Formats: sequence, C-alpha cells, structure tokens
Amino acid sequence: MASRDVVNYDTPLTKAFNWFSGIFLAFYLVWTILPIFVMIVSSFKNLLEAFKLPAVGDWANIGVFFDFSPTFQHYINLFTQQPFGTYLFNSIVAAGGSAIVSVVLGSMAAYSLSRVDFKLKNDVFFWIISTRMAPVIAVLVPLFFIFRSLDLVGSLLGLILAYTTFNLPFAIWILKGFFDNVPYAIEEAQMVDGASRPQALLAILPLVAPGIGAFVVLCILFAWNDFLFAAIIGSGGAKTLPVATKELVQPQNIQWGTIMAAGTITTLPMMLLGLVIRKYLVTGLTMGAVKE
Amino acid sequence: MTKDKTPSIDLFRVRQILDNVESKPRSSVSSEGLKLNPLPSKAYYYWLMAPAIALLAAITIYPFIQMVIMSLQDVQIGSSTWNNFANFTKLWGDKKFWAGWKLLAYYSFWCLLLQITIGVFLAIILNNSRWEKVLVTTLLMPMMMAPVIAGMVWYFLYNGTFGWYHWLFQSLGILGVKSILADVKTAMWGIIIVDTWQWTPLITIITLAGLKRVPRDQLEANMVDGASPLRNFTSVTLPNLYPVLLIAIMLRFMDNFRFIDSAMVLTAGGPADSTKILPIYLFDVSFRFTALGRAAAIGFIMLIVTIILGKALVRIFDRQQPAAHQ
Repeated sequence: MASRDVVNYDTPLTKAFNWFSGIFLAFYLVWTILPIFVMIVSSFKNLLEAFKLPAVGDWANIGVFFDFSPTFQHYINLFTQQPFGTYLFNSIVAAGGSAIVSVVLGSMAAYSLSRVDFKLKNDVFFWIISTRMAPVIAVLVPLFFIFRSLDLVGSLLGLILAYTTFNLPFAIWILKGFFDNVPYAIEEAQMVDGASRPQALLAILPLVAPGIGAFVVLCILFAWNDFLFAAIIGSGGAKTLPVATKELVQPQNIQWGTIMAAGTITTLPMMLLGLVIRKYLVTGLTMGAVKE
Repeated sequence: MTKDKTPSIDLFRVRQILDNVESKPRSSVSSEGLKLNPLPSKAYYYWLMAPAIALLAAITIYPFIQMVIMSLQDVQIGSSTWNNFANFTKLWGDKKFWAGWKLLAYYSFWCLLLQITIGVFLAIILNNSRWEKVLVTTLLMPMMMAPVIAGMVWYFLYNGTFGWYHWLFQSLGILGVKSILADVKTAMWGIIIVDTWQWTPLITIITLAGLKRVPRDQLEANMVDGASPLRNFTSVTLPNLYPVLLIAIMLRFMDNFRFIDSAMVLTAGGPADSTKILPIYLFDVSFRFTALGRAAAIGFIMLIVTIILGKALVRIFDRQQPAAHQ
C-alpha cells in the first residue's frame, strides 16, 4: 500500500457535507432567534400592527412584518396601569432571597460534606439530590397545605422557601464539587499558623468564590423563571413576573403588545445573566455531571 | 502510583505521607505532633451542615409524609377519612391516568429523538469551528427564557389568524386553516416543537463538552489506519460520547416530568385531551377537580418513578466522575 504523507479529506462527499452543515446551521440560527426577535419587535407595535399578516402564500409581502412605527406605550402601560413595578420587585426579592439563602446554607453544608465522612453519607447525599429532581407538580399539593397552615401562601417568604426546595439541594450538590477540589492541606497550613477552624474556612473561600458567585446567579435564574410555585404558593400577595405575564392572557381582547413587552422585561435580564456566567452553564445545567 | 520494584524507599514513604495529608482530613499530621489546634472533630462539621439539612428536611420530608397521608385518605376540607387505598386502586381503572403515561412517553420520545439528533449534529458542526463561542452563546438564548414566556410567544406565533408561524405552515402547505394547536392530530407536535426549540441547545453544549474529551490519539490512530471521517465518528467519537449523551437523555427525560409550564400555556392538555401528558393531568386533578387524595396518590407514583430514575442517573454520574479526570 502506498503511504500518504497528508491525509486529504477534501473529497466531494465532505464538501457536500460542509455545504449542508453550513445551510443547516444558518436555518437553525434563524429558527432559534426568530421567536425572541418577534417577541421584542412585537412589544413595540400597536395592536393593529401586531395583527398585520400577508395573505397565505404571498411571500413577496413578508416585509409587512417591519411595517410599523415603534411605540413605547406598552412598556409605559405596564408600569402605570398595571403594578408591574411591584411584580418586578417580587421577582427580584423572591429569586434573590432564595439564591442567597440557598448558597449561604448550601456552601456551609457542601463544605462539611466534602470534609467529613460518616456512615450514611451516600444516602444523605442521594436524598439531597433527589429533592432537586422531584417533579414540582407532584409535591405542590402537600406543600400548599403546609404553607397554608403556616400562613405562608401569598407571601414573599413563602415563595423564597418554596424556591429553596429546589435551589438548596442544587447548591449543596454543585458546591461540594468545588470544595472537593480544594486540598485540605491549605486549611491545615492555616491552622498551623494559628487560625481557628472557621478562620481556615474563610481562608479557602476566595478559592471557590468565582464558582459560588456563578451559582448564586444560576439559582436566581431557576427561581426567576419558575411558574408553578409562583402561581400556586405566591398566588395573592406575591405575584412574580412570569405569573403576571401569564395573567395578561385573557379569553377575549388579548393585548399582545403588552404581553410581549412583559415577556421582554422578564426575559432580557436573564439572558444577560446567562451571558455573564456562560462558563458555568454546562456544569450548572447538568448538575455537575459534565464539565466544560 | 509507582509500581517500580526498586524505588528509593525514602521517596516512596514521603509520597505516601503526602497523600495521606491531602486526602484524609482525619490523619492531620500537624495537630498530632504540635498540639496547636484541636483535632478536627466531626461535631464541628455536623453543626455546619445542620441548618441546611434541617431546612431541607422541613420543606421536603415533611411534605412527603403529608403527601403519603393524603394519598391514603379521602381528603375533604375540614375532615379527611381513611379509605383503604381507594385512591390507588381507583387509578387502575382511570383511563386518563394511563393515557397520561402513554402521552408522556410519546411526547418524551419525540422530544428526545429530535433534540438528540439535532443537538448532536449541531455540536459536531460547531466543534472547533471558527465562530464556535459566538454561535454557542447565541444558541443558548432560548434556555434563559422562562418556559411560560416561551409558551406565550409560541402561542402568538402559532395563532390561527395572526401567527407568523401559522402563516408559514399554511404558505408551505403543511397545515390548513386550523392552527397547529387546535387540531387533535397536530397539537402534540405543537408542544414538541416548542420543547425542541428551547432545549436542543442544552444537548448541544453537553455534547460539545463531551467532544472536547474525545481522546485525540485515538482519532489520530484511527486516521492513520485509513478510516474515513464517518468511520472515525462512528467507531471513536460516538462510543466516547455515549456516557455524556446518556446523562443528557436522563436529564431531559426528568425535565419532561418536571416542567409543564410551556405546555400549560400552549394547550393546557387540550384539544380533547390529546396533549394531556401525566403532569398536566395531575395539575388538573389537583387544581381543577381538587381531588386532593387522588392527586397525592398520582404525585406519589410520579415521585417514586423519579427517584428510581434519579438513582440510575446518580450511578451514571459516579461512573462518569473518574473519566472526567483522565
């Protein structure tokens, strides 16, 4: 057999594959962005403009989509005629509160779980992670009953606690991985120098701080985007943005512009946060099973 | 570790001691010799984890017990009576319950098939491409969206009178006048498309992370042996991707149990129960029919299934961890 110095893969078949993948990618990008794009553009249209559509099969008139004069009226309405300021505040407090509670308690637990060994450790660990995986809808009814008897339904505190049911196990699970990567020798060295145990813990915190920061953001993201808990536990006094947006959908006379504006307000902050913690997203969304 | 038969004994000892220091907190060499610090006591760690464990127990175990109790009772406001497992035995004859499982299986199967196929293909295209970072970031955008909001935007796009996607489907001759969500035959596909739109990128980024881990030397060895790119993919890349894909599949499957937000907005189970997957049925039983005992029974069964799946998932995680360090 003749030996080849360079393996040349530039056959017609691979060329065709490259062409195909390029076209596929282009289509996929359009399909991914289009709904978000339509949402944002529609939030600047008035009611009549939002309903404008070319006739079926009339491809030439597709440009009618851009035939509108931008208006900020929907955004102004949301904050003047509707109490969206309050809803925004509720969302921030509930998501932020549960993220902080989860990460503070979670990092304490994660640190100690990473340093100590005990008999039932694996079982405790599995229990923690299984609470994260449990379907929200399955536990919603009993949780609602308990929260009602404690008078927590419709309060921000109740919502924070409800979000903690999925954020706390998540924080413990992920942050344990971070603490596992910090050698115990560092704490020991600190203690040899006269640091107490809590001081030694504080000394290693800077090593895991970037990770902890990213997971505060991720916890906020999960809580912010939640709908079921907010709709049931938060019903009444603690309406968050997704629930408020959903309630704008009425059987008749749907105000699409307003809904799209509310959707944009709900979505954009999370997209920005997602960009900030881009590096940790894979780890976070796969519960630490896959690292980038 | 060094398996050499004749190592310098001293060096070997030093390594062993160092290893002990690094891996086992208890063997703390320094405090034994110097008595500067108290020995690491377990109690300290237990106190540190106590608040989290207590809080988690309060908001998960207590509701779980409450759920088990409710599932065995005929729950009425005010008074509840025990009813001899009637909530469970009645489920046996509950057609909508079984239909819920079947629809959930159908829904999950197509969601997973589409997402895995498209997601893996995208990852292969994007891997090491020139604009990988920018493109992946763009693809991630749908995942940051609240599923309810995504559902509402798509509801708008699907709308039979002013929806752009409906116009597109009609113009391409795929659909008639009826919106995709209004027809019993197509409604399920309406929600499958939205789930695929939102979550395919997750499969893509998981696969991308897996692709980076495919050993180069194996690919090169295979190429030297004259394998084509396709052969390279099927006999080296794919086997290496397998564990990562398994995790992706499990995660997505469990998410199909967990998230019904977008489907609730799009169809809420209709038309004619054609999209009433089990979680949506459970939502109806809980909050529309307020048959709370039955709801607790269904919830209990779903929870058990999730725990079994979770156990399998954690086992895959554990197998995955050592591989991650190679």
